[in-house]
Amino acid sequence: MSYGSTIKVPFGPQHPALKEPENFTFIVDGDIIVDVKPRIGYNHRGIEKAMEARTYIQNIYLAERICGICSDAHTTCYCQAIEELLDIEAPPRAKFIRLIIAELERLHSHSLWIGIAAHQIGFDTLFMYAWHDREIIMDLLEYISGNRVNYAMNTIGGVRRDISQEKADRIKRNLEVFEERVKYYIKTVNNEPTILKRTVGVGILKPRDAVELCAVGPTLRASGIKNDVRRDDPYISYDEVPFNVITDDGCDVFARIIVRCEEMLESINMIRYALEHMPTGRMRVRVPMRVPEGEAVSRVEAPRGELIHYVRSNGTSRPERYKVRSPTLGNIPALCKMLIGQHVADIPIVLAGIDPCFACMDRMEILDIHKGKRRILSLEELKGRRWNGS
Amino acid sequence: MKILSDNEVIGEIRRALGDRLLDAENPRARRIFIRIRSEDLRETVSFLSRELDVKHLSTITGIDLGKEIELIYHFSYKGSIEISVKLTIDRDSPEVESITDLIPGAVLYEREVHDILGVKFTGHPDLSRLILPEEWPDGVHPLRKDYTYEELRRMIQAEEGD
Repeated sequence: MSYGSTIKVPFGPQHPALKEPENFTFIVDGDIIVDVKPRIGYNHRGIEKAMEARTYIQNIYLAERICGICSDAHTTCYCQAIEELLDIEAPPRAKFIRLIIAELERLHSHSLWIGIAAHQIGFDTLFMYAWHDREIIMDLLEYISGNRVNYAMNTIGGVRRDISQEKADRIKRNLEVFEERVKYYIKTVNNEPTILKRTVGVGILKPRDAVELCAVGPTLRASGIKNDVRRDDPYISYDEVPFNVITDDGCDVFARIIVRCEEMLESINMIRYALEHMPTGRMRVRVPMRVPEGEAVSRVEAPRGELIHYVRSNGTSRPERYKVRSPTLGNIPALCKMLIGQHVADIPIVLAGIDPCFACMDRMEILDIHKGKRRILSLEELKGRRWNGS
Repeated sequence: MKILSDNEVIGEIRRALGDRLLDAENPRARRIFIRIRSEDLRETVSFLSRELDVKHLSTITGIDLGKEIELIYHFSYKGSIEISVKLTIDRDSPEVESITDLIPGAVLYEREVHDILGVKFTGHPDLSRLILPEEWPDGVHPLRKDYTYEELRRMIQAEEGD
């Protein structure tokens, strides 16, 4: 019902339902959201500017630190952009290793997400299960690269570590255990009344809106749009490894859960195929420090969707301009659309539905802005202050 | 609708824009860079959206060239071919028409470029700050080449009285 008058409810930057700082202002009429104003930038570190001041080699490690979850997606995107400028290609074996790491990353990212989604609807048992099983993948990543996160596998011209036959066997064994767990989750989410009641029909994003608002990744695919950078604009070895692009016509949070769960099964099969068909040969080629003048657009299907990097070089050892657009920023307009018409109580799960990664999104400018500084505002100042641009 | 190849896409754009298309490059498969004048932006975008069914804007890149500011609109054709539309605008009074009514998904990308490079998108519904903090000094656009990372840091520390 409508109360005929609206109030503004600030949500974040510090809020129990947000795992990272970000701010949304909800305009609510009674219990129903009528408008949403996002205000981002709380996690802004100035990475694009910092990249202009560092060499191409240093920037690999900076790109890795754009995100703690999809760090490999960022370095893959970065390295293939620079490789394009240098007019070299990573060796075939390196491309397969990149694919295996990328898919392992998708597995751990999606299982992390399932845990968070379950937590947001108060289903903490599933949260515990999902995060426990995610350790299988985290252990594998550590086993291959030495690191649980920020694997530092990619370098310009290839990868830094090989996957031996012994490692391949262990990956396959552990994936079998993980696959059983994913199948169990698919069975659970399809039958568990708690999940169905909280997610079916919640956070609707119609296909037309998803396309118009330039949504990406599982959010777009859960609105029935078959779009995946891996299939449409293949990079590394995605044109050699068979897989299905998972879509669902549900357009709601439930569809987003299903799409991510089934994508995990696809990823497992892709890793198995890649391990069995891995070409022999070198892992990397030597590259010069200086990069000739040019520009390149590089795209990757990160766990959260299309990731795009743009680089312009000026013939020196540092880039002239480096631009990053992470999937979360691409999904914010769609998120705002989903939230309108929802109940206040559904904000956390709808918000979690796009699998937001604010560290990725906010990467751009300056650090240390709020460095321990506190200011006390008078009531007058508060009244006069612009809140979230409204 | 038939799926066009890189060359066919360039051909279609050339046919529609004629001599208003200043340059078109196809450096590798699925990458197209075209250059237009800033006043032709809206017509180009509505052509892409209407005739080629290009609805997806991946992002907008802004670059400070010293005398001018270059904007690159990265569109995606069928999710596959990345069409980057380039144009340059005056650096002292950077202004370009907003495309948010043609591509609703451009709303945050335009605000981002407005914040970091000071480009005014005329017709944008709300160009308030998106990324920079509220207390950020007006007129300082951090991605302009006037400032280095260290200078910006010093400037902010001075502002805060450190």
